[in-house]
Parts: sequence; structure tokens; C-alpha cells
Amino acid sequence: QDQEFGADLWFPLPAPLCLLTLLLPPLSSAAPISPAKPISQAYSLALYMQKNTSTLLQTYLQYQGSPFSDPGFSAPELQLSSLPSAAVSFKIWHALEDAERLSRAQGAFLALTQHLQLVGDDQTDLNPDSPILLAQLRAARLRAQGLLGNMAAIMTALGLPIPPEEDTLGLVRFGASAFERKCRGYVVTREYGHWTDRAVRDLALLKAK
Amino acid sequence: MDIYFCLRQPLEMVDSKRMKTSSNFQWLLSSFILLCLMNQVNSQKKGAPHDLKCITNNLKVWDCSWKAPSGRDTLYEVCIENRFNSCYRSEKTNTKIPALLPGDHEISINPIHNHSSISKFILNEENISLIPDTPEILNLTADFSTSALHIKWNDKGSAFPHHSNVTWQIEILRKKKMEIVTLMTHNTTLNGKDTLHHWSWTSDMPLECVTHYVRMRCYIDDLHFSGHKEWSDWSPVKNISWSPDYQPKVFPEDKVVLVGSDVTVCCVIQEKVILAQFGKEKCSLIHLDGENVAIKIYNISVSPTSGTNVVFTTDTNLVGTVIFAGYPPDIPQKLNCETRDLKEIICTWNPGRPTGLLGPHNTSYTLFESFSGKNVTFKRAEDPADISYQLFFQMIPNWEIYNFTLNARNPLGQSESTILVNITKRAVYPHTPTSFKVKDTNSTAVSLSWYLQGNFAKMHLLCQVEITKSNSVQELRNVTVKGVEDSSYFVVVGKLSPYTNYTFRIRCSTETFWKWSSWTIEKQHLTTEAIPSKGPDTWREWSSDGKNLIIYWKPLPINEANGRILSYNVSCSSDEETQSLSEIPDRQHKAEIQLDKNDYIISVVAKNSVGSSPPSKIASMEIPNEDDLKIEQAVGMGNGIFLSWNYDPNMTCDYVIKWCNSSRPGPCLMDWKKVPSNSTEAVIESDQFRPGVRYNFFLYGCRNQGYQLLRSIMGYIEELAPIVAPNFTVEDTSADSILVKWEDIPVEELRGFLRGYLFYFGKGERGTSKMRGLGPETGHSDIKVKNITDISQKTLKIADLQGKTSYRLVLRAYTDGGIGPEKSMYVVTKENSVGLIIAILIPVAVAVIVGVVTSILCYRKREWIKETFYPDIPNPENCKALQFQKSVCEGNSALTLEMNPCTPNNVEVLETRTVVPKIEDTEIVSPVAEHPEDSSEAEPENHVVVSYCPPIIEEEIPNPVADEAGGTSQVIYIDVQSMYQPQAKPEEQENDPVGGSGYKPQMHLPVSSPVEDGTAEDDLDDTAGYRPQANVSTWHLVSPDSPRSTDSNSEVVSFGSPCSINSRQFLLPPKDEDSPKSTGGGWSFTNFFQNKPND
Repeated sequence: QDQEFGADLWFPLPAPLCLLTLLLPPLSSAAPISPAKPISQAYSLALYMQKNTSTLLQTYLQYQGSPFSDPGFSAPELQLSSLPSAAVSFKIWHALEDAERLSRAQGAFLALTQHLQLVGDDQTDLNPDSPILLAQLRAARLRAQGLLGNMAAIMTALGLPIPPEEDTLGLVRFGASAFERKCRGYVVTREYGHWTDRAVRDLALLKAK
Repeated sequence: MDIYFCLRQPLEMVDSKRMKTSSNFQWLLSSFILLCLMNQVNSQKKGAPHDLKCITNNLKVWDCSWKAPSGRDTLYEVCIENRFNSCYRSEKTNTKIPALLPGDHEISINPIHNHSSISKFILNEENISLIPDTPEILNLTADFSTSALHIKWNDKGSAFPHHSNVTWQIEILRKKKMEIVTLMTHNTTLNGKDTLHHWSWTSDMPLECVTHYVRMRCYIDDLHFSGHKEWSDWSPVKNISWSPDYQPKVFPEDKVVLVGSDVTVCCVIQEKVILAQFGKEKCSLIHLDGENVAIKIYNISVSPTSGTNVVFTTDTNLVGTVIFAGYPPDIPQKLNCETRDLKEIICTWNPGRPTGLLGPHNTSYTLFESFSGKNVTFKRAEDPADISYQLFFQMIPNWEIYNFTLNARNPLGQSESTILVNITKRAVYPHTPTSFKVKDTNSTAVSLSWYLQGNFAKMHLLCQVEITKSNSVQELRNVTVKGVEDSSYFVVVGKLSPYTNYTFRIRCSTETFWKWSSWTIEKQHLTTEAIPSKGPDTWREWSSDGKNLIIYWKPLPINEANGRILSYNVSCSSDEETQSLSEIPDRQHKAEIQLDKNDYIISVVAKNSVGSSPPSKIASMEIPNEDDLKIEQAVGMGNGIFLSWNYDPNMTCDYVIKWCNSSRPGPCLMDWKKVPSNSTEAVIESDQFRPGVRYNFFLYGCRNQGYQLLRSIMGYIEELAPIVAPNFTVEDTSADSILVKWEDIPVEELRGFLRGYLFYFGKGERGTSKMRGLGPETGHSDIKVKNITDISQKTLKIADLQGKTSYRLVLRAYTDGGIGPEKSMYVVTKENSVGLIIAILIPVAVAVIVGVVTSILCYRKREWIKETFYPDIPNPENCKALQFQKSVCEGNSALTLEMNPCTPNNVEVLETRTVVPKIEDTEIVSPVAEHPEDSSEAEPENHVVVSYCPPIIEEEIPNPVADEAGGTSQVIYIDVQSMYQPQAKPEEQENDPVGGSGYKPQMHLPVSSPVEDGTAEDDLDDTAGYRPQANVSTWHLVSPDSPRSTDSNSEVVSFGSPCSINSRQFLLPPKDEDSPKSTGGGWSFTNFFQNKPND
């Protein structure tokens, strides 16, 4: 899987290596590091993720059967209370402090990684014979974790406190029906796309500063 | 008493049922009358109890009630008037009495405070109604997951004295409107005790979506009770409902259903549902209580992997559920259990039809061994693409027979398959042997070793060795070895050929064969060398000069060489000396030794690294043959030649056939072949044999290592047609014959045994196409063929030819292989001179003889001829030749012969003229003598052919009209008068011969008119060529030989006839003067003898 992932990456470094470096917490937190590099890295990764989000969503829907797989399916009314929505008014977003903006994105991707894990497990039950879907979900989760690491590096560089890693999912309904699982998978993959889009904007703004 | 009757009535009615049908009408009539009477009585006695009715609910007590006048508190005494005479008091209008025995009982009801009337009734069990107590549902529960309702109630059977059948009716109702869903019956038996009953019902509609109500009633069918039996009242209704969350929900959740079944899906919701979808299909809504809706899906088809979604859409929400439609597991197919190492049993199977269910609904398999009670469960592989359905079961020590049951289960059902195996006897499929090695033992044996995993300690292994020789000959050998546990095995494989490349591989099974293991990988092995088993095949020839003996031998075949031949040793030994040549390298297969003509024994030995072969021996000298050998001929079969000979007991060693190409120089040895001494035939085959080449074969017989020539054969493998034609020359030519000689064709070009020549000859010249193709196939009829089968003949004489004629000669040779090409030659025969001379002389001689004879005859008969044809007086009357015409001309004139039209005018003209000639006639003696020039001059004009038509000449009509015909009429004049012209103007003619040719008769004829003269002059030129007087010769051209005769048939008829009007001749020809003129003309017999007298 890692090889496949690595092949997709357009930046020169092999992906597993990159991800490892991103995941590792900065060892020398005392020494102030220039935030430009981690911002740039995070921005690159976010851009790359952005290219794959619609594919992930389409692949996901394709395997869930009608009406999910019907062309043009959209159900904005479906939401997950455990997953913050990426939708925000531009004014509010723009007025946010860097730290706050970063913190929200960081929280969202933390939730997304956990949710993507849950969706991956759900789909292992529902679509055990669809390795493509399962691989894409796994890859999305790894990328989300990678971005999370990058954001931590930025926050460290900026001297911001890193919010503690918390259990966003809480008590998962293990007895959720298949339909509920399909729906929550849809919401997660959809929000993953939205949050990636927002992260690109966040990082672009940060980069510009 | 009235009541008695009333009560009695129905009893009678019951009885009357047994009556015959014919009395029914009578009975009805009487009952009607009785009823009327009864009403009358009742109306008279209104104060008395009436209408007694009794029911029972337990068959022990009867509850009787009656009607009485209301408004008064009365105490009633009810007495059963039987032998016990028991009475009961009641303040109400009903009372309970113990059940009475079957039969009529008189009941009296006596209102105590009202003595007015005592009512008496006849009571019978048959009039009692059995109405059971209303049942009560003790407990109604629901299993929402399965949509099942469970009902529990008590039958209160202890109340009944004896066993009875009870039928329960259970009614299910739905929705607040209490719509009946179903009504079902349930039969039980009362057994004298209170019994709790359970009953379940599964709803098609999920119970969560709508409230379900249940009620029941019963009917006791007691066989001992003869009265009415009625249904009890309905029990109080019980309901079941689901308390919904705030969240909308869809039911059933994740339901697994069988393909083809019907499913109802419902939605508990507070909003209005606008759309329901099953997969891609829109469904019609069934409205339940509130906003709850349901849909019904019929004949569901198999779902995709993640199930089929059912989605309800509202304005603001999307809810749904997933249905998994599939099949129960198929019976596991091809269940097979075997062991590879006698430690673990592997059971494999084929799952059969796919269930269409995956993930948590996938089929689970359990393998259960019934003797040991152990089981193992199938664990699905991580990768769903690589599913091999197999389970491993650890073998139990010393346990041979296993009874396996494989159970397949999924939410829709289960199935199983069983197998009983004797694992050591019928189920050992060993692993593929490993570490397979081959080692040399000796030149004909090797040892094989391999390792086989498995516990075979208590059995024997049967292994199969496949031995493949280098030339791809395969051999299988079975070996049995004693089994051990996880160990190596050794076997020795013998009977191999030395120095041979072998390929070995091995596979094993147990002695009680079930399955071979897979073959091991192949191992190649070359066996070690051994000494050559035989000496080389040897032959010898003396060199051309006879001084050296050349010894030939053939390389040993690989199976006799037993190794790589390094060298050969050759030795020649006689009684006196021994010569030897040693270490002749392998490449060389002949040796030359200078020997005298003594008898030597030559021995040849082949050597390899192990040792030398036994020697091959051959005597240097041939055994002389007593008989003279005849060279035989033989023809082969295309690829070889067959030779056979008679058995000769003297030949003890073998026979040798050697052969060579007869046309090659040097010692005759191309190859040889040895045949055992007991054979009498051999087929000689060689790649070197070519068709059309002559080979010499020599058959030798062997005796004490010496060879004797027995037969000499000349042969072809296949005969072909000669490649060239024989050269031939013409030795001699005469006028009628040709002698041809030819040469032999060389053997190389003959390409077969010569069988003969074909000689073709026919007329023909060089370059003419007629003779191009010669031969039997061309089929020219004028071409002659000679088949010369005597091949010793070298000349051929062709006779009966024509002289001075060109002939084409062709010669071809032929063999049994066909006819060779042709060689041709053109020959012209000589001229035949004698024949030519004879051909000229004979006609000349004949002509002379005929001439002489004719002359003699004419001379002798000249007087008669003259008398006949030319009498002295030319009187036509005397003319014998003209006598026959007399009668014809008599009518018109005695002098002319006329044919119709014959005009008297003509006669007149001629008559006048006849006078003149008569005078002149005598004067003309011999015009030939007098006018030789004339005649000669006239001669060329004599040939002019004048043709004219015989017009009717109207001379008397001097009309210019006649001018038109003048041309022709004048001709007549000219024609007639010209005869006299010479007489009239002989001088003129002489002087002016030219004018003689263009004569003017009009000048001399008195009858001619001036007009005619003019016309005659005008026409002079036209008639210039006409000289009838000069054409005297034509007068007598009576003969058909005359050239005139060919002009026309009409003229032939009239020609020469004196009467003919067409005739240009004079009717009376001049006697003498004209004849000489005619002599100057062409050939004529008349002239011939007429001239004669003159001569």
C-alpha cells in the first residue's frame, strides 16, 4: 500500500519517508524553527490531497449502491455530530486568528483520521471484495494524519500550543445499521474533501503571511 | 301445559328430522298451528314465568333464566321434578342448577309470592347452549427484531369435566382503525387442568411502525355434550406498539432475506415522506398511522455486495435501511479429506452456488469429526480473492477412520456434507519428495536418494522411478521401500547401459495406493564407461594395384562402444608374421597395409578408456568361386534394393553385401552390410543411393573368416528414362531405302536397363511443323514407328520409300523408367532415273502409233470420206450429210434449212446468192495455192469469237427504224455475203488485205439499199474484227472438240446445222477454196484428212 501511495506522490521524496518525518513530533522543540518550511510542506500535501478527494468520494459512493451511486447524488442534510463541518462564512473565517484557524483545521483532521478509520472498518464489512475502495480509504487516512503532523510542526514553529489529541468519536454506535454506516461514510468522505479544500485555503493564507 | 307444548315442539322437531321427507310438509303445518295456540295462551297468562333458557360454560352447571312480569320483587322456587325432587330458590329470574342427565326433565318455576301461576318446563340437555367463558390473553409480547408476536393464555381446562377439543380464533388487527390483518385458528385439547398456551405470529410489517392488536375467542367441541355449542365472546384486545425515538427510523434493519421473497419496509417518521426508493426503483407508499409509511417489495432479487438500499426521502431528511437478499449456503461439493504427511488431514470442498452474501453474512463452515467429537472452524482468508476452501484437522494417533461432517451456515440457512475416510488406506497423498540425488554405483547401476516429509513409519512406500534414456526412451520402475518418519530414502537402479545419459525422476505413494505425489525435479546422469561389447564391423579390399590391403571398419554404435572410443588397433597375422597398426585415432576408419598374397587374418580392436573390445577378424584373401558368376540385374523399390539368396549351410559366419557405384573408378566399395548367416534375404538401404544410377552389388558368404563371392548383381534403386537419345547416322541411302546405324548410350546417361529403341520415320522436310512432334503420342497416320526390342541391334534398314523424298528419322531409347529424348535427322532419298525415262517415252510412243494408224485409215478411206463429206458437186440435196434436213425445210424452200423463226425473207436473200456461187464455184479451184498469204493473214483473226443473236431481218423494210437493228441485221449480211466476197473481188482482196478484213458487202449486193449501205459503212469499224471468210475453218467445226462448242449449249445444238438461223456458217460451204484457209487454223482432224489429198 505504501508503495502505491508513494507512486502517487508528485513530490520527489518517497511518501512513507515524508509521512514518517511529518508524523514525528519535532524533537528539538526548544530551538525556534522557521515556520516557512513546514507551512510549505503542509501546503504541498494539502494540494495533493485536494486532487484525490473527489476520487475518494466518487469511489466511495460507487460501492454503496443506489441511490448513493446514482449520478449527482448529494445529501447535504446528512451530517455527523462528531465531525465539525467545514462550512464557515468567509468573513468569520477571514477574521479568525492564525492560531484559531490552525487549531480548527487541526481538530477537524484529527476527527477525520479517526472517522476514516471507522469508515474503513465499516466498509471492510460491507464491501469486503472491494480492495480499491479500502485502499483509498486507508490512503486518505494516512494523508490526513500526515497533514495533521505538518500542522503540528507549523504550530510548533509558530510557538502555538498543540491541542491535546482527544477522542472525537466518543462512543461509537457499534450496532449502527448498514444504512447508517453507509451514510456516515458518505459524510466523512465528503467532509474530508471540504476540510481539505479549507486547509488549502488556510495554508495558502498562512503561507502568504 | 301450553309451555310444555312449546318446549316440546323443538324436541319433536329434532325427532322429526329422522322422519321421512314425505311427512315434512305435514309437520310444518301442525307446528304452525301449535305456535298460534301457544301465543294465545301466553297472552292469557302474562303473570307466569316464561321463556326459560339455559346455558352452560363448563358442562357442570346450567345457568337458566326466564322471563317474568317486571316490577315486583318475587322469589322464585325452581324445582326439578324428578325422583330427587330438588328445588332452588332465587330472587332473580335466573338460577344455576347442576347439569342434568340426558333426557327430559320437568322444571317448575314457582313465583313464591305470587300464587297466580306455576310455570312448568320440560328441560333437556339438547336445549342447552354451551358457551365457553371469554378467554383472556395473559401476555402479549413482541420480538421486534423478527417482527414476531407471542401470545400467552390459559385454557382454564380444570373447569371442564372431561377432555374436549378447543378451537381458538386469534385475530390480529393493525393501525388505530383496527384493520384486520389476519384471523387464525389454533386447536388445543382440554385435559382437565388449567393449561397455558403459547402462540406466535410473524408479521410481514415490522412491528415498530404500527400498533398491532390481538384478541381471541374459543369454541369447545365436547363430544359428550348434545346441546348447542357456540363461540365464546372475544377476549379484551391487547396491543403492542413501539415507542419511537425522536429520530426517524426505518425497519427492518439490515435484514437478510431469501432471493425471491416479499419484504415490507416501513419508516417511523414525523415528517411527510415524499419519496421511497428500493435500489433504483421508486415504490408506492402504504400510509400507516401518523406520518409512518411502508413499502412492499415483491420478488426481491439478489443484492450487490453492500446490500440493497431502501431510502425514504423527506423534505429535510434522508433515512433508510439496507436489505441483503441472497441464498442459503449450497451443499458443500466435492468434499475430500486426505493427508500428505499422516499428521494432518486436509479437507477441501467446493462451496457450490454463491450465496450473494458477504461480510458478516458470509457462509461459515465448521468441520466436525463425529468419532472424536472434535471440530474446526473455517477461517476466511484475509484476501477475499484468494479463497481456498480447506480445513486442517490434526490426526489422532493410531486413529484410522474419521467421519467428517462439514456444516455450512449463513443467516438464511445451513447445509452439510459428510465423508467417511480410512486415512491410512485411502487418503494418503504424499508430499513431493525433495533433495533428490543420483550417484554412480557402477557402469550399469546408480543409486537414487530423496527426502520425504511425513510419518510413514508404519507402512511401506511405493515409489516410481522414471528413467529416460538420451534417445527419449522412457521406462518406469516401481520400488518399494520401508517407510520412516521424516527421513531420506535410498534405492539402487540397475540394468542401465554404460556411458549413457539418463534422466531420472521419482514420485511416491503408500503401498495401499491412493495418489502419487508430484514428480520430483528431473536429474540428468551419465553412467560410467565399460569396455566395448563388440569389435567393429570390418571389411577389406585390395587396392587397385593389388599390393596393399585396405582394411575398413565402421564406428561402433553407442550401445556397443560403451564409452568414447579413443583408438583402434589393427593387426594382420599369418602363420609366419604379424603386422600391426596400433592407436589409430577414432576419426580414422580405414587402414592400409602392404601385404603379399598370403593368407592373413586381419583383426580390428576398438579401445575406450576402460579397455579393448573383442577383435573382429577377417581373412585377407577371398575364397575362390568354382562357378563362373553371371551378372544379374535387379531393380530396387525406390529407397532400397531387395536381395535374396538360397540358404547355404556352408556359410557359417555371416553374409556380406557390398556395393558400389559402377561408374566410379577405384576399388568397388561404397559400403557393406553384414547379415546373419541364417538369413536368406536383405534389404539394402542407403542415403547415398540415387535413382537412375547403376550400382553393383556383391554377395559374399563367410566361412572361417574368409569370404567367397556368391553373386554379382547390377541394379538400380529406381530406373529412370534415358537422359540422352542414341547418336545415329545414315549409312546408306537409295531411291527407296535408308540404312541407319546408331551407337550405344553411356551407362550414366541411360539411367536404367536399356529395353529397346523406338524408331520413327515419315515424310517431312526440315523446318516444317508437320513433323515436329514425332512419336506414338502424336498420332500422325503417316508416321511409321518401329520398336526395336533387340538391344544388340545397331542398324536398321527402312525400305519401300519414295525416291527423291525428304524423310525425317527419329530415334529414341527407352528403359523401364521411361522413354528418352529424341534425336531426329532429315534424309532425302535418291532420284529414280529409269522411271522418269519410262514416263516420258510411253506417252510419246502412244501418240506416234495413234497418229500413224489414223493416217493410214484416213488414207485408205479417203474416197469414202470425200464422197461423204465433200462431194464434188456441192448440191446440198446430194449431200448425204444434209439429207436428213430436207423434210424440215420443204415447206418454205428446198434449199434452206430453217428453224423457227424462219422467215421467207432470208430464204430469198440466200436464193439470189446461190446463183452467184454456182458460177464462181468452178472458178475457185484451190484458194490455198492462190492465196496462201490470205489464209495466213486471216489466221489470227480466225480465233475471234463473234457472238450475235439471230434477229429477224426485215431486209425489205428500208426504214430508218431498221437502223436500230441495223447492227445485227448487217451482221447477217456480212456473214452471208462475205463468203462470196473473195469471188466477187478477188483482186481487191489481194491488193488490199486490210480492206479485205473490213469488207463491204453492200457494194456488191444488188438487194442492198442505200440506207443499208450507209449503215454498213457506219458499222464497218464495229465489224472490222469479223472475218467470216477467213474463218472457214469454223465451218466444219461440228466436232464437240471445237472450242466453240464450249460457248453455249444452244450453239452446240445448232452449230454446223445447215438449217440453223444462228449459224454463222454458210449453209452451203464452198467446196475447195475455203478448205485451204482452214488448214492454217488449229488442230483439227478434218483439216488433217482434207489437206491430205492436196498434199
